[in-house]
Amino acid sequence: MGKYWQIAKGRMQENTAYSAWYWAGTVSSVMRLLIIYFFWQAVYANQTTIQNINLETMLTYIVIAMLLQGFVGGVGNELAENIKEGQVAIELMRPYDMIFKMFAVDIGEKIMYLIQGTLPMVLIAYFFMDLSFPKSPETILLFIVSALVGIWIGTFFDFLVGVLAFWTVNVWGVRVLKESLITFFSGALVPITLFPDWLRTITEFLPFQAMVYLPVSIYSGLISGTEVYMALGVQLFWLISLYVLVRVIWSQAIKQITIFGG
Amino acid sequence: MRRYTRLYWEFAKSHMKVMMEYRIDFLIGVASVMLEQFASIFFVKVVFDHIEQINGWSFYEILFIYGIAATGRSIHQIFFDNLWTLGWQYIRPGKLDRLLIRPVNPLFHVVADRLHQDGFGQLIIGLIILGTAIPQLDLVWGAAEIAMLVVMIISSGLIFVAINLFFATFSFWMIDSLPIVWAVFNLSDFARYPLTIYHKGIRMFLTWVIPYGFTAFYPAAYFIDKSGYKEFALWTPVAAVVCCVLAYTFWNRGLKAFASTGS
Repeated sequence: MGKYWQIAKGRMQENTAYSAWYWAGTVSSVMRLLIIYFFWQAVYANQTTIQNINLETMLTYIVIAMLLQGFVGGVGNELAENIKEGQVAIELMRPYDMIFKMFAVDIGEKIMYLIQGTLPMVLIAYFFMDLSFPKSPETILLFIVSALVGIWIGTFFDFLVGVLAFWTVNVWGVRVLKESLITFFSGALVPITLFPDWLRTITEFLPFQAMVYLPVSIYSGLISGTEVYMALGVQLFWLISLYVLVRVIWSQAIKQITIFGG
Repeated sequence: MRRYTRLYWEFAKSHMKVMMEYRIDFLIGVASVMLEQFASIFFVKVVFDHIEQINGWSFYEILFIYGIAATGRSIHQIFFDNLWTLGWQYIRPGKLDRLLIRPVNPLFHVVADRLHQDGFGQLIIGLIILGTAIPQLDLVWGAAEIAMLVVMIISSGLIFVAINLFFATFSFWMIDSLPIVWAVFNLSDFARYPLTIYHKGIRMFLTWVIPYGFTAFYPAAYFIDKSGYKEFALWTPVAAVVCCVLAYTFWNRGLKAFASTGS
């Protein structure tokens, strides 16, 4: 356990070095927050509810979804770079499980993001926008659990996309592809309840809604009661399935390396 | 001029060859950009399934704004995308020093070094959006209007280029200004929607300071009469030229500062 913590800590220190990127990220997030705010204000100018969702709940949903989406990415990038540069062969010889190592790096990254990226956003949203809080402590707890599971589902998925770098060169394209899929189907832009029926049905069979939509719906009260526990069940299913998939594909990919003779 | 045209052709040809070597990656790149755009349009569509208009603008009108921005941006993305890499591909590894001793304008060289395949996805998507929106807009399209649309789109593209060039130039002093370029570029997201929905300060900022308003909203407002910005929209090409001149002047200053440090 100790060595993985060292890896996570190392990544945190490294990250503080890139302060220009940090500020650029913060500025961009604040801007996105502003766009969202004015957009929904304009949308609600002529109506009080859309699908029984009022402006306050909608803004709460969108802002929390935006914050959460920042966490569902993960190790894929780093992994793809490692593969492209050929470092992966060296990494594999080191005395740790490379998958766990990558996840440790990712956790370090996410802790930094929580402090540097999310906290300022939360403060701005709290002071300048009327957001609502969950009604009960129980809901908050369930949201935290659900959000963590959602983040892991996102991380596993990202890992799977990263492994693709063994077979494709254009990592950037695949990454954009993945980002759009997630933005599209995870409910990060708009609650999935607003989707047309046919699309909502498709969405229910995909892992993406478990990353953002389900946790945020718990938070904002779009789903409640037994629905919450069903949502958690769905998440758990995806969490386990994707992890198994990660293991299977990874072992396949490693074989690929030995064939290269690396 | 003719020499530069021929040079660009040679650069582009060799680049095309490389692109075709990796055909799958080319297709992935194009597809991913298209999907990315679809996601944000789809978002607007879903919202409009439940409402009539936003701030007096209908779905197809907003789509039209979006289409102009997407098509304009594709000009930038196909031909000038390499500006993004000025810091980490040219200045940091010292490649720019080599360009400086060649008998070619260094900016031209940097720009011509790469045609960006993903930009073609952007172009296709932009044209599809425009093609979808325009028939629904209840406008009369004569030769004059079409010519005006082309002028507006080119102006939009040039403003994207000028803004990126301006902020990429900071790399001469700080090695890599990519984070700044990126943050500023993200501002263009504001331009997807009618500027009238924003607070006055934001509107002013996107008109007079970083003029992304001219990449989408004002050009579209020229065609959509009720907007109240029809006259003002005529300044779009002027704004584009002014931005380019400013950015190029700044680039030359940066280049001079860079060359004289002798690094």
